[in-house]
Amino acid sequence: MNKLSKLLLVLSFALSITSSAFAVVVASWGGAYTESQKLGYGDPTAEKLGVPIDWVDYSGGLSEIKAQKEAGAIVWDIIDVYAMDTINGCDEGLFVEFDFDKDFPPAPDGTPASEDFFTSMPSKCAVGNILYSWNYAYNSENIKGTPKTIKDFFNTKKFPGKRAIYKGALTNLEIALAADGIKPKKGGAKIYEALQTEKGIQRAMDKIKKLCTDPNGGCVFWSAGAQPPELLMSGEVVMATGWNGRFFNATVGEGAPIVQVWDGQGLDYEYFVLVKGGPNEADAKKALAEMTSTEGLAGSAKYIAYAPWRKSSIKIMEAGEPWYKDGKTDMVPHMPTNPRNTKNYFLVDPVFWADNGTEIGEKWEAMKAGL
Amino acid sequence: MSSETQKILTTDGIPLEESLKKAEKKNKIKAFLLVAPLLLFILITYVFPIGDMLFRSVDDRMVTNMLPKTFKAMEKWDGKEMPPEKVFEAFYLDYKILVEEKRHGKLSTQLNYEKNGFKSILKKLARKQKKFEEGNYKEQIMAVHKRWANVEYWRAIKRRAPEYTYSKYLKGIDMFKNEDGKIVQVPEDRRIHKILWMRTLEVALFVTIFCFLMGYPIAHLLATLPMKYSNLLMICVLLPFWTSLLVRTASWMILLQQQGVVNDFFVLIGLVTDDNRPEMMYNKTGTYVAMTQILLPFMVLPLYSVMKTISPSLMRAGKSLGGTPFVAFWKVYFPLTIPGIGAGCLLVFILAIGYYITPALVGGASGTLISNQIAFHMKSTLDWSFASAMGLMLLTGVLVVYWIYNKLVGIDNIKLG
Repeated sequence: MNKLSKLLLVLSFALSITSSAFAVVVASWGGAYTESQKLGYGDPTAEKLGVPIDWVDYSGGLSEIKAQKEAGAIVWDIIDVYAMDTINGCDEGLFVEFDFDKDFPPAPDGTPASEDFFTSMPSKCAVGNILYSWNYAYNSENIKGTPKTIKDFFNTKKFPGKRAIYKGALTNLEIALAADGIKPKKGGAKIYEALQTEKGIQRAMDKIKKLCTDPNGGCVFWSAGAQPPELLMSGEVVMATGWNGRFFNATVGEGAPIVQVWDGQGLDYEYFVLVKGGPNEADAKKALAEMTSTEGLAGSAKYIAYAPWRKSSIKIMEAGEPWYKDGKTDMVPHMPTNPRNTKNYFLVDPVFWADNGTEIGEKWEAMKAGL
Repeated sequence: MSSETQKILTTDGIPLEESLKKAEKKNKIKAFLLVAPLLLFILITYVFPIGDMLFRSVDDRMVTNMLPKTFKAMEKWDGKEMPPEKVFEAFYLDYKILVEEKRHGKLSTQLNYEKNGFKSILKKLARKQKKFEEGNYKEQIMAVHKRWANVEYWRAIKRRAPEYTYSKYLKGIDMFKNEDGKIVQVPEDRRIHKILWMRTLEVALFVTIFCFLMGYPIAHLLATLPMKYSNLLMICVLLPFWTSLLVRTASWMILLQQQGVVNDFFVLIGLVTDDNRPEMMYNKTGTYVAMTQILLPFMVLPLYSVMKTISPSLMRAGKSLGGTPFVAFWKVYFPLTIPGIGAGCLLVFILAIGYYITPALVGGASGTLISNQIAFHMKSTLDWSFASAMGLMLLTGVLVVYWIYNKLVGIDNIKLG
């Protein structure tokens, strides 16, 4: 990068630092989610370590941290990212690689961290934070009958009406194949095997196209997480895919008649990464270990219906029910990882999407253009 | 040479001409120093960063420097069949160094832009290559993953050999340079950028037209009504201007969706039946309605400021000279408003062409525009060179419009107030 523009970026970033120099700065998605992180494990950790933790909002992606790094003025210590971003950022050398069992504390019963987490990490730079679900839901006041399976989502004869699906290809291809007869069972390995071939991708696209062009069906594409519950509430669609935490909020928080269907759900993850050369790397590392400890992760589930990564956290929640902040809702049944919700699910494969995301994205847009 | 001797001198004996020049020079320096901070500011905050970003779209030295041996060995390979052992060996040696220096991640990102699927096979190779035996690298690499035996992937590497490239621009119009050096289209099911360019242009163009058709009468009314009413009307124009863009977009969603207020009203008055509500949201209609409303003030304000200066007596004169109201309007009033039309249309068009939040929210299947694609490559894939290539193409498009406007109307005729 040109020296002059570098200097400029340094200046602009220096000006944008509003937090005190010794605080650990965590960038996350904002809203109710950051609130759950702050109350669940941010504040307790800050108190324990005596290091203030500042939460800043960002809108995802790696462009900001890449720009900070190129300017030589990194202001974030920890970032909450998608799986794909941990892979891409790790490859770009933006994040610290972990020695997992050494850097993160074991479960209370002594199980090492790497075995306490639900699955292994997609890259060496990632530590799991929450698991959330891409499932679908319906408004029980707007629909005749009870949709139960992922096939019902595509069954426009039995359940006529429009569907809301995510605007991108991510998870849509997976549910299309799941409804087309490739059972995800536990993890959905077969689905990703099928998607490795052109034929598999075409098959998934055709299924979506059929749903969207069906006169009894039709699609609304959502882009913001708040949209699916809204579209269901207004009666604009009869079923919508979405994030389980949002549906939970509408049902439990606002008393909406929204029912979630867990069959064929996609489990996806959020991760923390530690920025290499961040302003307060040593403290940040300590804070990260504390936040992702058994109690830490369980803490955030008090405020939002996303599952903690650690199996041992669930045990704490079970013992402490009703765990939700309102003091009367049991939280464990709402966890995407609950055995009752994971009879038939796929794990969203970050390696597949990091590999093929752009090309499939192009095909997806071309398909959408022909609708 | 009498004129020379008669040269006018100042009191201290210097010719007047020179003295004047000196004084003027001083003034010029002073003037320059006055604007220098602004100039510097623009250079530093605008010209250099943008130039740097645009330079990325053609700069490909990083990959060239990462695989020096491979590209040298590839020079003799025609790209038709699988490359010879020498290429595999060179690639193995290059890649080994990258893995040792922990720079192989960057290479995998770059090559994955060129052809999807590189990421995982390069990672696999990084693990496996540690146990490679000497000799016969071709077989050993091909055994790591079946994609290494696919010639397409080796062609993709070869395409990244030059230090400077315009391939990102080709990609922006769904083309690429194949192994024969010919520029051809990408497979049909991946030709997405052309669709997006056309869609962006179409949306921007129609929104500009709608804004003009709706803004012109409003501006005329604003300019001709008595102060008392026109002030109220002005507030009505400006109020949405001051409201958040997202709020306005969301309001349109509530109004226009199938179960929305407008449709409810249609059903109530019996215009449509309940099970046959028209779709006015999550398609192009929704995009046009929402964007037109959002951009309308940008059309009304310049038009208003121009119309305000046109004397009403001109129209009266036109009519008294025998013109019908329409002729008077068309021959007298309309030509005088052209500077305002130009300013309004250019403003709306330029704003609309880079828009993306509104179409993404209300546009449904057709809600993706080229700016969404640029944002995607900026934020998700981190392919900044492709993003900046598309950015420059968009900028060029706007400049072309500007140039056409200048040819047709003349840029001096533009008037913002």
